[in-house]
Amino acid sequence: MRDYWLSKLFFDLQSAPLAQEYRAGRKKVLDRYPLKPEVRAAVESDDVAYLSALVNPYLLRFYFLMAGMPEEEFLRRIRATTAPVAARTGHG
Amino acid sequence: MAELVGVYAASHGPMIVRNWGKLTSVEKDSLGSGFSELGKRMRAARPDALIVISPDHWVNFFIDNLPAICVGVGEVHDGPPEPWLTEFPHRSLRGHPALAGHIVRYAHDHDFEPSVSYRLALDHGFCIPLWKAGVDPLPPIVPVVFNDLEPPYPSVKRCFDWGTMLAEAVASYPGNLRVAILATGGLSHSIGEPTMGRIDEAFDRDCILRFERGDPRALIDFLNERLPGAGNGAAEVRNWVAAHGAARGRGFELIRYDPIPDVYVGCGFAAWNIT
Repeated sequence: MRDYWLSKLFFDLQSAPLAQEYRAGRKKVLDRYPLKPEVRAAVESDDVAYLSALVNPYLLRFYFLMAGMPEEEFLRRIRATTAPVAARTGHG
Repeated sequence: MAELVGVYAASHGPMIVRNWGKLTSVEKDSLGSGFSELGKRMRAARPDALIVISPDHWVNFFIDNLPAICVGVGEVHDGPPEPWLTEFPHRSLRGHPALAGHIVRYAHDHDFEPSVSYRLALDHGFCIPLWKAGVDPLPPIVPVVFNDLEPPYPSVKRCFDWGTMLAEAVASYPGNLRVAILATGGLSHSIGEPTMGRIDEAFDRDCILRFERGDPRALIDFLNERLPGAGNGAAEVRNWVAAHGAARGRGFELIRYDPIPDVYVGCGFAAWNIT
């Protein structure tokens, strides 16, 4: 299952002005999304592994690229994730 | 009556554009020759309209409204919104409402139920192959979005049947029109998941072999078994399967295949035998 508001946040951040506002200060943007406390904490701490279980992998990849995480760092973190892929994304 | 004059497939991937400067000369040569030969064949087919089957990468649709298959029926579609695709030469692309509307009516008359959009934004999945293959001038486009990104996906068998139906719809179009089909995406790749960057070359080559042989049942059985292990991006092979259906399972000629690590994708180009 997807976390709706986390997915919505990542989806909305494809808007360049919102992404700019987010990069300038996450709190104001995050306050507009009713994220569960543990999900918000994971966003605030860039917890790739935790978030990967809650959102489509393409949106996850987009989000960390948008947020400024270097590609090599994202690759290192996502490859360290141990959750079975099929359980998170379905088949194929 | 309309005539199906070509059925093609090409991989896509943001890194083909975003990472172009960092690709090796071998990788550039592979992609360049694949796209170039594809474009040459498409131009030679002289299509009056082009049906492009591609996924939507979270541009038009979200999980609050996520169609399995959507046909773009509008007069105009928007060019790619990705900020790194500003060099794509078209900010808007002409649609073909008459052909698209006919396809939607034919589909519903034959137990297929696509959603429709009167204005789609065509992201890199549509535009990178059109651009890099040099399809210029662009014929009017009928975009067909397959959900290859977020489960549940349409079944492989359903995608094949969709392609068969598309060819029938084209054949029954009451107008003198040359129509080509381009399926984009695949082959194996893995994005935003623990296997990110892995290209399953063995899967890709086995997959290509089955497309070459034709035999739809063998292809569908193979994909049902092997697609789940080939990375989430391999789901886009469904679009190739639809092209296979449109070509009546006659088999394709591989133009080029190479695993391209710097774009994360097993990149393939193909043209079906439709005569």
